[in-house]
Amino acid sequence: MEIANRTIQAYRQAPWRQQLQWGGMFLLVLVAGLLIAGVYLNISAQAATAGLETQDLSEKKEETLRAIANNRTKLAQLTSQAEMEKRAAELGFVDATREDTAYLVVEGYGGRQPIVLAPTQRQITIEHTLIKPVYTQSLWEWMFQGVLSFSETNTAGGQ
Amino acid sequence: MKNDPFRRGNVIMIGFMVLALAIVGRMIAIQTSVSAQAIDEIGKQNSYVYKKIQPERGNIYDRWGHLLAGNTEVYEVNVDTRYVRNADTIASTAASMLDLDYDKVYFNITGTEENPPANTVFLKSYVSADTINQIAERKAKYAENYKDSSSPSLQGLVWKPYLIRSYPEKSLASNILGFYKFRDLDKGAGFFGVEEKYNDLLSGTEMTVLVPRDPYEAEKLPDAAPGASLVLTIDREIQAMAEKEADKAMADTGAKSATIIIADPETGELLAIANTPRMDLNQYWNADQVYQSALDFDRAISTTYEPGSVFKVITMASALDAGVVTPTTSFLDTGVINVGGVNFNNWDGGAWGPQDMTGCMRHSLNVCLSWVAVQLGPSKFYEYLDRFGIGHRTNVDLSGESLYPLALPGDDNWYLPNLAANSFGQALAVTPMQMIMAISAVANDGKMMPPHVLKAVIDDGRQYNNNPQMVGMPISEKTADTLTLMLEDSLVQESSSALVEGYRVAGKTGTAEIPTEYGYTSSSTNASFVGWGPVSDPKFIIYIWLEEPQSDIWGSVVAAPVFSEVASKLVVLMNLPPDAGQQELAGQ
Repeated sequence: MEIANRTIQAYRQAPWRQQLQWGGMFLLVLVAGLLIAGVYLNISAQAATAGLETQDLSEKKEETLRAIANNRTKLAQLTSQAEMEKRAAELGFVDATREDTAYLVVEGYGGRQPIVLAPTQRQITIEHTLIKPVYTQSLWEWMFQGVLSFSETNTAGGQ
Repeated sequence: MKNDPFRRGNVIMIGFMVLALAIVGRMIAIQTSVSAQAIDEIGKQNSYVYKKIQPERGNIYDRWGHLLAGNTEVYEVNVDTRYVRNADTIASTAASMLDLDYDKVYFNITGTEENPPANTVFLKSYVSADTINQIAERKAKYAENYKDSSSPSLQGLVWKPYLIRSYPEKSLASNILGFYKFRDLDKGAGFFGVEEKYNDLLSGTEMTVLVPRDPYEAEKLPDAAPGASLVLTIDREIQAMAEKEADKAMADTGAKSATIIIADPETGELLAIANTPRMDLNQYWNADQVYQSALDFDRAISTTYEPGSVFKVITMASALDAGVVTPTTSFLDTGVINVGGVNFNNWDGGAWGPQDMTGCMRHSLNVCLSWVAVQLGPSKFYEYLDRFGIGHRTNVDLSGESLYPLALPGDDNWYLPNLAANSFGQALAVTPMQMIMAISAVANDGKMMPPHVLKAVIDDGRQYNNNPQMVGMPISEKTADTLTLMLEDSLVQESSSALVEGYRVAGKTGTAEIPTEYGYTSSSTNASFVGWGPVSDPKFIIYIWLEEPQSDIWGSVVAAPVFSEVASKLVVLMNLPPDAGQQELAGQ
C-alpha cells in the first residue's frame, strides 16, 4: 500500500514520467512497425528482382527457341539432299548401282530402323513451382506459416 | 496550466492523429467511390499489355528424320523516331543494307513541321539474320566511336525477330509438302499437300494474351505450346531419285508432264510422289507462274485421266476372283467384239487368234478383256470396282484430292458399251493415286492398304505413330498371287523393257487415247506403267504416268523403261538384295 501511494505521489509530482512512458510505448510500436516494414520491403524487393529475372528469362527462352529453330533449318540446308549430293560428287563419289552392290548377312543387324524423334512413352514430369513461395506469399501468410511450422516442429519433437 | 508543455504535446498528437485519420478516410473514399472501378480498370490496362503469341509451326521430317519443312529467323526493322540522333545515317544504312529508297526513309523519319513523324516508322520485313548482324555491328561501332550529336549514329533503328516457314530442300517433294503462306502474318495458312491437310496440327493454337508488366506477376507469363511436328513416310533419297527420273522421262519422251508414285504395298506408305513441274517452296508466291491451275500442283492426286490398259489388272483380278476365268481359260481373239451395239478393237486393230488369259494380259488385248468383263457382267464388274475403291477418293492424307465420278449401271451417262470400254481403262477417269491403291491389293496378297504420307506425329514431347488399318480385301490372296505370276510371266515372255535384272517383277503397261469433245480423235496418248516387286515378297509398287509423250505413243515403249530405271535404283536405295541373292542369304 505504501509503495502504491509512493508511486502515485511520484507521478503527481513529475507527470512527465507518464508522458515518457507513453512516448516509449509509441517508439516501441514505431520501431516494431519499421522493422516489419523493412522486412516487407526486403522481401518485396527480392520478389520484384526475381520477377524481373523471370521476365528476362522468359524472353531469353523465346530467343533460344528461335535460335534452335533457325539452327535446325540451317543445318538442314547444309545437309540437304542436293547439297550432300554435290559434296559427294566433289569428293569423287558416284551413285551405287545394282551391279556393284553386294549384300552380306550381318548377325544381329535388323536393317535400318525407322526414326524415333521423341519418346513414345510420356516422360514423367515432376510438378514443381518455379518461384519459391517466399517470393509470392504475403507477410501474414509467411508469419502464419512460420508459426505453424514452428508448432509442428515442437509437437513432433515432443513425441 | 497555460504553460503546460504536455498539454501542447497532446494537442499536436491529436492533430497528427486527425490528419492520419483524414488520410485513411480519404483512401477509403477513393477506394469506394463511384469512379473507383473505372480507375481500377485504367490501372489494370496499364499494368498489362496485349501480346499475340504465334506458336512455332511444327516441323516436317522425312521417314529418316531429314528436315523437309522448318522455321527460320527473320527480322522486322523499324525506326523509333523518338530516339533518332542522325536521320541521315539511318536513311543511308537503309538504302545500302536494306535496299530501300534513301529519300523516302529520310522523309518518313524526319517528317515536316505540319506532319511530324510517327513514333514508329516501319522500314522492312523478312530481313535476314546476316543483314541484321551487319547492321548491329555498324550500330555498335557508331555508338562507341562517335559520341556527339552530329556524328553518325544508328540510334533509333530497332528490329524485332520472328520465325517464318522455311523449306531447306527447296523444290524437293514440293507437291507433297505444300506451302505455308508466311508472308501473310495474320492469316497465314497451309496450302496444298501436308501443310494444308495437317494445318491445324502444325500451327498449334494461336492466342492473344494479357502479359503482366508487374514483375510480381511474372509467374503468370503465358507459354504457348508449339505446333506438332510430323514425320512422313517419304524417303528423301527415293523422292529425289524419282524426281530426277520424272524429269529425265519428260526430257527423253517429250511428255507434257510426268508422275511417278512409289509405295510400300504392305503398309500403304508412300515413299515418293514425283511430279512435274515443281517449285521452290521458299518462293511460294511464284506458284501462279509455275502451275497453270491448282490441279497441277500434285497431279498424282489432283488430275484425273483415262488410264488405259493398266486398268486391265483390275478387270482380270475381278474375273479371276469371281471364278469367271482362270489363267488357262481360252479365248479366240477375232480382233473385234460388239458390246451394246458398239464394236471394240485391239490396240493394233489386229486379231490375235487363240489365247489364254495370260496371253490376253501379255498382249494387252482389248477384245479379250471386254469379253472377260461381259462374262463377269455389269453387276459383278462394278461391284469389284467399288471394292477396289474406283469411284471413291483414296482419302490419302494430302490436300486437293480429285474424284471423277464413275458412271454406273442405272446412271444417265452409263450405257452397256461402257462395260467394255471400262474393262480396258477407257470411258472412266481416275487419279494415279487411285490406281496405285487399287493395284497394291494385287501386290499385297489381296489386302488393300490406304495410301498415306503420315508416319508419326510428335506432340508435347511424345511420338504418336500412325498405323492405318486395311481398307479392304477386294480379292483373295490366291487371286492376287495368281495374277502376279501371270503379269510376271507376261513381262518375261515379251522381254519387256520394264524388267529389272536379278529381280522378279510383275507389271502392266497402259496406253490410253485422250478423249476430245468429238470423241477419241486425238493421236496423243497417256502412257502408264504399274509394276511391283520382288514378286516373292513385294516391297515396292511403282506407278508411272507420262502425259502425251511425243517420242512414242505406247506405254510399253516410253513408260516401261522408266519403271525399269526407277526400280533398278530403288532396290539399291531400299537395300533389297536380288532374288538369287535372297535365296543365298536365306541359306546362310
